[in-house]
Amino acid sequence: MTAFLKTLLVVTLGVALGLLSTWLAVERGYGFGSVQAGPWTAWPKTGSSEADPYAKAVMARSGEIPLGVAEGLSFLAQSDDSGDELTAHCEYYVRGPMPVARFWTLSPMTPAGGQLLPEGNRTGFTSAEIARNADGTFEIVIASEVRPGNWLPVRPAAHFRLMLRIYDTQVSSTAAVIDARTMPHVVRGACT
Amino acid sequence: MNWAFRLTGWAPWVAATFVIAGLVHIISILAMPLLAPQDAFGRLAEATPLGRLVILDNGPPGKELLPFEDPATIIAVCRFDLAQGALRLRSNFDGEGLVLMSFRNRFGTAFYAMTDRGTSRGRLDVVVATRAQLDAIEAQDSEDEVPSDLRLLAQLPEGFVMLRALSPEPGQRADAAARLKMITCGAEKAPG
Repeated sequence: MTAFLKTLLVVTLGVALGLLSTWLAVERGYGFGSVQAGPWTAWPKTGSSEADPYAKAVMARSGEIPLGVAEGLSFLAQSDDSGDELTAHCEYYVRGPMPVARFWTLSPMTPAGGQLLPEGNRTGFTSAEIARNADGTFEIVIASEVRPGNWLPVRPAAHFRLMLRIYDTQVSSTAAVIDARTMPHVVRGACT
Repeated sequence: MNWAFRLTGWAPWVAATFVIAGLVHIISILAMPLLAPQDAFGRLAEATPLGRLVILDNGPPGKELLPFEDPATIIAVCRFDLAQGALRLRSNFDGEGLVLMSFRNRFGTAFYAMTDRGTSRGRLDVVVATRAQLDAIEAQDSEDEVPSDLRLLAQLPEGFVMLRALSPEPGQRADAAARLKMITCGAEKAPG
């Protein structure tokens, strides 16, 4: 093979590999700096000037505007406590403690960050509207069919994500570790 | 020709492929925020006017303008270009409602963020300005008075203020929107 053909091959392959790795990196998350707590993941710095180049690239592509450090912190769960991906084939119970904050909201979303259901449906719960037990604890049921209590509907037969936002919080958003014991559990119930 | 010799013959070409792939990867990640036309600022530029605060309709489910927004919040945006003068934002909302405010550059990076708890009972007076504009404002300051406004230095002339007001229950969306409407935002005439 002539040197010219070899060079052409090397350049073509190199560019293709480089672009492929970029695409994979951007598709798979927000780069470094994620904080894990149980099934929840937060990227505290994506909205700040400390965001790494990968987080900035993901943001540029998705068009999202993450919360600033002083505004609050958002957590995304794509699986339940046991690590299985969230799907509307199953029902889920969200229970347990919530991080200390002035308000929190919990809403199901499509993997792309859109609303799951047409307008008129419940889109989420806020800490102010949840029905609590006498001892202050609560349970949210996520299911595609009507349930009593704090029922959060999801579209049947679809994968979804859960987004928990805590506003005006004491939780240090620059912390590298968030104690999973302060975060709610996502427990799978019956599946069809 | 034996295999070992063949492999050593190819080694520099393989190495070159990976070097090119690495360079393409790094350059494409760093360039993405500069090239992405559909980043948050691009989307807001199509949907909102310059130098005026507007309540943003985030679009129907599945076709959201901005992904991963909290359905329990009302969004308002004030896009600015400091080439038209420094930006002045004043608020005078009351009550206990949660309002999140972040001042961002055109890449969505927040250079300042706060909640309504950071205001003086809903009153807030903020100037966003370039270095030169800040110097001009400071030159106008009276020597016996401490300036009462919050002055923010913007590294880039273009950006936006992102305001989110929480509606803790679905029936309170009008109240949340009313709180945002108490905020005025626009280019300020040069002093003097």
